Amino acid sequence: MTLETLWLALLGLLLAGYFVLGGYDYGAQMLHPFLGRRDGHEEKPTSGNAALDAIAPFFLGNEVWLVAFTGVLFGAFPHLEGTLLSGLYPLIVAILTGLVLGNAAIQLRGRARGAAGRRGWNALIVFGGALPAVCWGLVLGLLLHGVPRRADGSFHIGPGDVLTPFVLGCGVTTALLFAAHGAAFVALRSGPQVAARARQSGALLLRAAGAVACLPLLLTLFGAGASMHNRVISAVLAALFAAALGGAWWALARGHHVRAFAATSCAAVLPVLLVGAGHYPYVLTDASGGGMTMGQAVTDGATLRILTWFGVVLVPVILAYQAWSWWAFRGRTGRRHPSYF
Amino acid sequence: MSAADLARLQFAATTGIHWLFVILTMGLVPLVAITHTRAVFTRDPVRRALRERTTRFWGQLYVINYAVGIVTGLVMEFQFGLSWSGLSKFAGNVFGAPLALETLIAFFAESTFLGMWIFGWGRLRGGVHVTLIWLVTLTAYASGYWILIANGFMQHPVGHEVRDGAAYLTDFGALLTNSSALVALLHLTLGALTTGGVFVAGVSAYHFLRRTKETELFRTSLKLGLWVSTVASFFVVVVGEMQRPVIERTQPMKHAVLEDSGVAEVQARLVEEHGPGDFVPWQDTVRISMDVMTIIGNTVSTITFIALILLWKDRLTRWRWASWTLVAMVPFPFVASVGGWVVREVGRQPWLVYGELTVEDALSPVGRTSLLVSCALFVAVFLALAVTNWTLITRFALRGPGATQLGATEPLPDDVPEGPAGSADEKQPLPVL
Repeated sequence: MTLETLWLALLGLLLAGYFVLGGYDYGAQMLHPFLGRRDGHEEKPTSGNAALDAIAPFFLGNEVWLVAFTGVLFGAFPHLEGTLLSGLYPLIVAILTGLVLGNAAIQLRGRARGAAGRRGWNALIVFGGALPAVCWGLVLGLLLHGVPRRADGSFHIGPGDVLTPFVLGCGVTTALLFAAHGAAFVALRSGPQVAARARQSGALLLRAAGAVACLPLLLTLFGAGASMHNRVISAVLAALFAAALGGAWWALARGHHVRAFAATSCAAVLPVLLVGAGHYPYVLTDASGGGMTMGQAVTDGATLRILTWFGVVLVPVILAYQAWSWWAFRGRTGRRHPSYF
Repeated sequence: MSAADLARLQFAATTGIHWLFVILTMGLVPLVAITHTRAVFTRDPVRRALRERTTRFWGQLYVINYAVGIVTGLVMEFQFGLSWSGLSKFAGNVFGAPLALETLIAFFAESTFLGMWIFGWGRLRGGVHVTLIWLVTLTAYASGYWILIANGFMQHPVGHEVRDGAAYLTDFGALLTNSSALVALLHLTLGALTTGGVFVAGVSAYHFLRRTKETELFRTSLKLGLWVSTVASFFVVVVGEMQRPVIERTQPMKHAVLEDSGVAEVQARLVEEHGPGDFVPWQDTVRISMDVMTIIGNTVSTITFIALILLWKDRLTRWRWASWTLVAMVPFPFVASVGGWVVREVGRQPWLVYGELTVEDALSPVGRTSLLVSCALFVAVFLALAVTNWTLITRFALRGPGATQLGATEPLPDDVPEGPAGSADEKQPLPVL
């Protein structure tokens, strides 16, 4: 394996980690008005919202996967970074707006004075979960379909590129998937009553995600959707995605929270793998089958070697302390968990 | 406004506002870590509880500010790719590496550990818990280092060679020891500590003016804040002056503007070297910012020194005018730090990478309408966040330690003895804020 492939894999790992961890944050954010309320006789509310309590200790550590993804994108694949972010300008701005408002709302909601202020923050929390979830789906759709690259390699998306059935289908599927993923996480971390509610909505959302996902799939089969470079791998990954959705639904309906969460996590990772492995060695394709290859996107060899020395030490350390934070705050919320958000 | 002006405004406004949160974060976190360490190493339960309350009070203000700092930082990470893709085309091989390392070494760890610290009260052992806040402190400054390495490359590009219109890294060591970055880092660290110290001293003085009952808590805080800000503000002026020779050597135009002499000669020389163009930054803006920074720096340094002397026999807290002076001083280090930022960043215009890439040439091929919308959106959101941040900080600072939510562990139902009046749950309402 060359260094370039290694760094592409790390980039994929960071984005996949972000989709799994940020994904359940956004899901919990979207669902928190329905899932979060507690019934009178349940244990004393801490932040007053069970869904937000479920994600609280991990929230700050989750968002940084996106920051690390962007950092590595710039460090290891600077030529892709400049083209991709400026090309997807409106979508990236929308994602960032959602993230800024949603993240600030989650952290400051508890500081609000009175019910009106809290309602305002709650609305921002839902908005800040839904907007990035939909927009990441749109980004995935665009990348799978191929972007309108010009002769000089740059591109710029307009409404006509985004408002196609395939891209919109990907957007809605991703939003529903993240919502279901969030429900599975809340079910995993909450007391019995909240968990039961989360299970029901999660199963419903998974059915909806499965139904909507058929649209992009059918469009692709009829040649109007994704144009993949590696067809076989893509077909396998798409089948695995369908299996993960089905497995998650099956596990959730039967009350197996751990299995359900594992399955929704796989479902959140697979689209990232599909973009990466399905187009490999291209990192950005246009609809006509050409594109920017990994070799054109990657930084200079000398820089990459230096980065590798750091990466070999840093990545295991990062994984270790992230795992430690999950372990330190394991278990269901309530009782012995201090609340703050 | 042209597309370039809009992109410039967007970058300047977002970075400038983000910077205001960063400087308080960096200034407060060491003080929180110090008080937390003191608390953990105190045996006597009463004193320990007091010190823990001190930590939670300042920690609360720090965490509110961090919340806004991190979300604006998220946007910063994307800005280069969004509006300045020419930078990654030209200098991506060099400039990307420090940014990547910043996220992997610092940002990632800082955020994860802070999340654990916030929710670790009563759940993690004291030693582990206090280690977390020190790791947050360390990574906050590590973050500053890597960002300044990237920024230092833009100020004074070193350790690279340009082949076929792109920069290639040749000397990583030179990049990491760029004098334009290291002296600035020291200056910035001292500036942040001044800001944090003045903030803590000012808030403490305010509580004495209101005849707080928490005299012990605020006396210790006042002392700590004054010591830190006195020492830091003395050296921040000294180190600030140390940057002059670096600027003279690396950025002749900025130096000429600051000295207000020889601007025309440098302009003529730069035209000779780089072809026709206007190489003079906004002279008045740069000079006024420099003066504001210098005046505030010297004033703060003097006042904190006198205040430190007045601590003797509690004169500072008995003389109301002296306490009011400290309260009134809180905003000034922020103003000075923006002044410093303007000198550094506006003063290097029109260059993005000094002497090698102009700002105009680095602009992304993004439409003017997109830029107009995003610029208005980001500026509005960031301003709203700034107002929210300072309203909340002021509210929580004025309310005092009684209203702290951070680490306020509720007594569990089985920890509280059953009373005659209903269940234990209802006896411990959450503080409604």
